[in-house]
Amino acid sequence: MRRSRTLWLAALAAFLFLYGPLAIVVAYSFNDSVMNAQWVGFTLGWYRKLFANAEMLTAAWNSLVIGLTASVVSSVLGTMAGYAMHRWRLRLLPVLVLAPIAIPEILMGVSLLIFFVAINLTLGLVSIALAHIAFCIGFVAIVVRARLAGMDESLVEAARDLGATPPQAFRLVTLPLIMPGVIAGALMAFTLSIDDFVITYFTAGAGAMTLPLKIYTMVKITVTPEVNAVSTLLMLVTLVLIVVAMRLSPGALRAGG
Amino acid sequence: MRRLLSLLSLLLLPAGLPAAAKDDVLHLYNWNQYIAPETVERFEKACGCKVTQTYFSDNEELLAKLAAGAKGYDILVPTSNYIQGMAKAGWLQPIDKSKVPNLKNIMPAYLNTSFDPGNKYSVPYAYTITMLGYNEQKMRELGLAIDSWAAIFDSRILEKIKGRVTVLDSQSELMAAALKYLGYSVNDRDPKHWQEAKNTILKAKPYWAAFKASGYIEQLAAGNIWLVHGYSNDIYQADLGAQEAKQKFRIKHAMPKEGAVLALDAMVIHKGAPRPDLAHRFIDFMLDGKNSSDLTNMIGSGNPNSAAMQFIKPEIKAMSAIFPDQQTASKLEMLTDLNSQQRRLMNRIWTEIKAK
Amino acid sequence: MSGPPLAYLLVFFAIPSLIMVVASFRLPGDFGGLAPLIYSDETGTHLDVTLESYTRFFSDVLYLQLFLKSFWYAALTTLLCLVIAYPLAMLIARSPKKQRDLLVLLVILPFWSNFLIRVYAWMIILGPNSVFVGALNRLIGVFGFEPLTLLYTPFAVIVGLVYVHLPFMVLPLYANLEKHDPALLDAAQDLGANAWNRFWRVTFPLSLPGVFAGAALVFIPAFGIFAIPDILGGTGGIMIGNVIKQQFLDTRDWPFGSVLSIMLTVMAIALAGLAALLARRSRL
Repeated sequence: MRRSRTLWLAALAAFLFLYGPLAIVVAYSFNDSVMNAQWVGFTLGWYRKLFANAEMLTAAWNSLVIGLTASVVSSVLGTMAGYAMHRWRLRLLPVLVLAPIAIPEILMGVSLLIFFVAINLTLGLVSIALAHIAFCIGFVAIVVRARLAGMDESLVEAARDLGATPPQAFRLVTLPLIMPGVIAGALMAFTLSIDDFVITYFTAGAGAMTLPLKIYTMVKITVTPEVNAVSTLLMLVTLVLIVVAMRLSPGALRAGG
Repeated sequence: MRRLLSLLSLLLLPAGLPAAAKDDVLHLYNWNQYIAPETVERFEKACGCKVTQTYFSDNEELLAKLAAGAKGYDILVPTSNYIQGMAKAGWLQPIDKSKVPNLKNIMPAYLNTSFDPGNKYSVPYAYTITMLGYNEQKMRELGLAIDSWAAIFDSRILEKIKGRVTVLDSQSELMAAALKYLGYSVNDRDPKHWQEAKNTILKAKPYWAAFKASGYIEQLAAGNIWLVHGYSNDIYQADLGAQEAKQKFRIKHAMPKEGAVLALDAMVIHKGAPRPDLAHRFIDFMLDGKNSSDLTNMIGSGNPNSAAMQFIKPEIKAMSAIFPDQQTASKLEMLTDLNSQQRRLMNRIWTEIKAK
Repeated sequence: MSGPPLAYLLVFFAIPSLIMVVASFRLPGDFGGLAPLIYSDETGTHLDVTLESYTRFFSDVLYLQLFLKSFWYAALTTLLCLVIAYPLAMLIARSPKKQRDLLVLLVILPFWSNFLIRVYAWMIILGPNSVFVGALNRLIGVFGFEPLTLLYTPFAVIVGLVYVHLPFMVLPLYANLEKHDPALLDAAQDLGANAWNRFWRVTFPLSLPGVFAGAALVFIPAFGIFAIPDILGGTGGIMIGNVIKQQFLDTRDWPFGSVLSIMLTVMAIALAGLAALLARRSRL
């Protein structure tokens, strides 16, 4: 496989663009200053403070759990939706799938709150997860559908000719081929969920706290480096979790596994 | 794949468990960083209960959630001009005065406001004044005296600090400042005066860096912004931040001579509060002098509690921006709520201001 | 196949949204929320509905202007995301199998830090005290240009928008590029095509479904966003998302907020539908 130098340089520039701000986030988590504005000196104090801050840690944990839940459920539902949209000329589903992405978060948040109250659902972490799943499905569906478009249908036909039932054909042929799309969608869903603020604000129950909600409370005064510390930590923990998950199911991101 | 799923389900178990099997929980819905951690701890020990906190950063955020039907909260801390509306909407329950004897600690000037005659629903918590905050070194260098709203509206002053000024991202506050600058009351409802205020704002806008409801504290303390339209306790904290960052400048308050907006925040009990008994205990607790002083000492908020005075740091008590004298206090006004017609007009004006 | 997602979205999206669609025909409540739908007075029971909010929207050019502005911002963001994301996605797709998983993770890792903290990092990079801005201004000062302010400008808003939406372009692109058959490129080269032609006439057309997927997942959210203009934008930086936020969290005009939101959603879906139509036409 030839790798052109321009491609390499362009990709490197993009990578720098991606990681520049991140380097600042991580670096400033060691900043010996209350504010996130100028570098003053090095300290581990913020990490120490973080580990004593039960509210912050609980919020981070909640975000992680909700993120994983939303990611898994929306991946399953989104893959089904993406497949259905690709296979059949549907009218309602594409609109229902796309609209949550388009609709302003405030509207969705307010309407879900009204709805949850009307059906007497206890607000809490579960209501947040339900809301997140609703807007994540679309992201997975679109990616899966794009992956399916241009997939070699003859492979599926061959499987059927060899005696596979439709569910078998889907599970043994189609699914492995679209798996990179599913995983890509799952990663996006996770990212969306752990970062969501507006919808979470409205659908959270009294005392339910996620990390974005907690961090937003600090924006008023100053976003102390404790936030940088928890962000760095969250990234590390998520990375470790995902790497472990990949060891458990190798080749998920590549076709055929 | 299967192992992956089982790992996930293990993680999800705690989320499925019912939250806090303990019954003794007080749900407090308060502004961000508007109660000292030690106060909460002291209350939890005194009542043998737990306090869970939810936060908002603007009254309208609180109202939006309540209007959509959110419940589960015991104590709310809105600004007092909203209380009349909240009571009419049926979101509050009356406070049983027999359970809050410490109410006697509040200075009479802050009781019995027009928003809540007889303090049926609310009890004063803290107050803040909207004013100007500035980098005193920079203003000295530029030879600017900051004592009037002209600092953010007059182009002669603004051109010296172009791009280094922020104003509050609040239609009520910014319009109030403009109305005061023009010599009107902050509660002036004359549409002609509103247009005047709008034009004043639009003329000054090119000199401003941004509309900032929060985050200006940091920018002030870091020295990026030199003048802000902000809240007295925020400006106090900016000064603390600047000192902490070992800056060569201090952040000073400036009470505009035309007058300013006073915001009195109060504790109320939500109509469907799960634990009104704990709520009353909390209110009485916060009316105690020592407990009330914690917040003032932490963020420099105004304190309507006379019993708290002895516990407040002398340097804060001495600040006329936080504890205004009689003469200054006479120029302060509290904002009253608009009706829906007026709100619509204000909405249009504000969108125009932001969009141009 | 379509059953479960349809059911879920009907319950947790369609019905709540219907509430707000109905709300667009109602009047605002005095203290926020909505006025009662049904009221009775001397003349009997009435349904309190009105087209007032809609007429207000269509009769005021200000809102249309804001929609247009948001459209351009979102379009520019999408284009920039495409340009930046494409080489990245391509590089990952062409990497040896063992490295691909890790590289995808590395691309998305920054976005598991918190949104606010990333935006604040940009405030540091673009702010007046930043090393980067200082160096840039020194450089252009050599050519005699005035020093630039980067923060609180439309430039800062675009940078923020691009940065925040980048992974939603990279991932769909990667998912598509990953399955391209290298044999096609080999064949093209054997037939005499140079690198640029191989890209433009083989790779890019094949990647169009991924391009359109990524474009949809960037453009649509960017169209209605409010947080980035709020934090990074200067005094003239608002987009239509900010006005919508204003209706719910400032002026308590939920019906009008619903109208704006419906308009936004309809426009976004229409554009996505148009893009999908173009995508189908472009696929041979």
